[in-house]
Amino acid sequence: MTPHSLQEPAPASERLALPPLDRPLSPAMPADQGMPLTLRGVHKRWHKSQAPVLEGVDLTLDLGTSTWLGGRNGAGKTTLLRIAAGLIDPDRGRAQVWGFTAAENRARYHRLLSFLPAGDRGLYARLTVRRQLRFWARIAMLEAALVRARVEETIDAFDLGELADRRVDRISMGQRQRLRIAMTFLARPEIVLLDEPLTSLDAEGAEILERAIAELMERNGTLLWCSPSGEPLERHFDARWILAGGRLVQE
Amino acid sequence: MALRHAGLAFGAVMRRDLHVYLSYRTRLVSQVLTSVFSLTLFYYVSRLVHVSGFPSPASYFGFVVVGIALVSVLYSCFSISEMVRQELIAGTFERLLLSPFGAIRGVVAMTIFPLLYAFMLAALTLGIGCAVFGLQLHWSTVPLSVPALALALLSFLPFGLLFAALTIATKQGSVGTSWVIALISIVGGLYFPISLLPEWAQTASHLQPFTPATELLRHLLVDSPLQTSTATAIAKLVGFAVVLMPASLFALHHAIRIGQRRGTIIEY
Repeated sequence: MTPHSLQEPAPASERLALPPLDRPLSPAMPADQGMPLTLRGVHKRWHKSQAPVLEGVDLTLDLGTSTWLGGRNGAGKTTLLRIAAGLIDPDRGRAQVWGFTAAENRARYHRLLSFLPAGDRGLYARLTVRRQLRFWARIAMLEAALVRARVEETIDAFDLGELADRRVDRISMGQRQRLRIAMTFLARPEIVLLDEPLTSLDAEGAEILERAIAELMERNGTLLWCSPSGEPLERHFDARWILAGGRLVQE
Repeated sequence: MALRHAGLAFGAVMRRDLHVYLSYRTRLVSQVLTSVFSLTLFYYVSRLVHVSGFPSPASYFGFVVVGIALVSVLYSCFSISEMVRQELIAGTFERLLLSPFGAIRGVVAMTIFPLLYAFMLAALTLGIGCAVFGLQLHWSTVPLSVPALALALLSFLPFGLLFAALTIATKQGSVGTSWVIALISIVGGLYFPISLLPEWAQTASHLQPFTPATELLRHLLVDSPLQTSTATAIAKLVGFAVVLMPASLFALHHAIRIGQRRGTIIEY
């Protein structure tokens, strides 16, 4: 979370032909166009009889920054991440990547942003780890020539070599979580949203995740990490926010 | 370039479904056995009962074998809704939705393997019919049945996509699919000629693509007489595909967008 400062675009941004960050800012959404991820006035209410889970949340994430989002169980952290990821729509407000919403350019939104949902879902139980990664590389629409090499690099980076030819339903929960994290980082997104990423991870898995985040930061990427308040976290974040009563407050 | 990437992603979905299918080793055997049992049953029924309108037991057997082959295609079309439900439960649908490839293309891609598989199973059923039960195919027009079946699939596919949309909206995979398949089997004339049906049911049988597809394929495979001309049957199938395909894609898109707006897309 940073002020709306302008910085040099990351190499990845240039590759994906993102809007240049040194363009003059116009009154219409000026700051948002220069920011990797912005949430503006996000409201969400699940049932009419209940209080809104999000009430006008504003959040801006800058290049090369890591942000922690905490809060009690049921505070709306996952809902906020799902909205930021373009998975569900807010009732009011908007989530934007470089100034555009997922509805405006869905493919580009998801090329730039990757989301690790909480839990252990999102895997094909009957596929091997390698096939799973290859499948997601294709679905991420990576350059055809890159797919094989990127998958093998990911297998190495996330220490999945011994598991690569094993079916997902035959590996442990912690190993599945490592695979899910590997899938999240596979296409080298610029913005990564992690919802409770440490679930089931052992110390080695947590270290691998740290390395992946360090690589993201080296690429001037953006991280939003969400976990319940009280979960011991050793890592440093540039900003720390708590979601309470549908609003964000600085920790 | 984008088209090429999309094509590769379609291929990846097909390979995924193939690998998942192959991981269940007895599935093919059980499906082949089901075909063999059906063929055996109708072989003896055709010899036991004289069916009016058919000059010989062999001609009714040929008629019904094509119907049996098409039933597997029909099941494949409707299996998409169950596949989507499984994706919703596994959380992989959410992943598709969050990918640059996207959920709509993902669902359309999910139809490729089941349809190719149904195509193969239909060929196998006909092959067993020939090899074991002496089915006489009209070989000079058999090659034409391949594009005819492809066209039939294009006109059947929207039904699968519509049920997939319904699954996304209701979270239930088999909402009425078995009823619809049973109904189509009757009004589509898969097991007996529609001329046996009451007049109102005969009218209903012309309001869906299964009847012209079945008639056309029977004509090409076993030389059954066509009620109309080949061109009319083809025109009907093209018409159904042209009208129903965009409508089903719109329904799919709409179901996903409503789910995203209400937040129910993550439910299962």
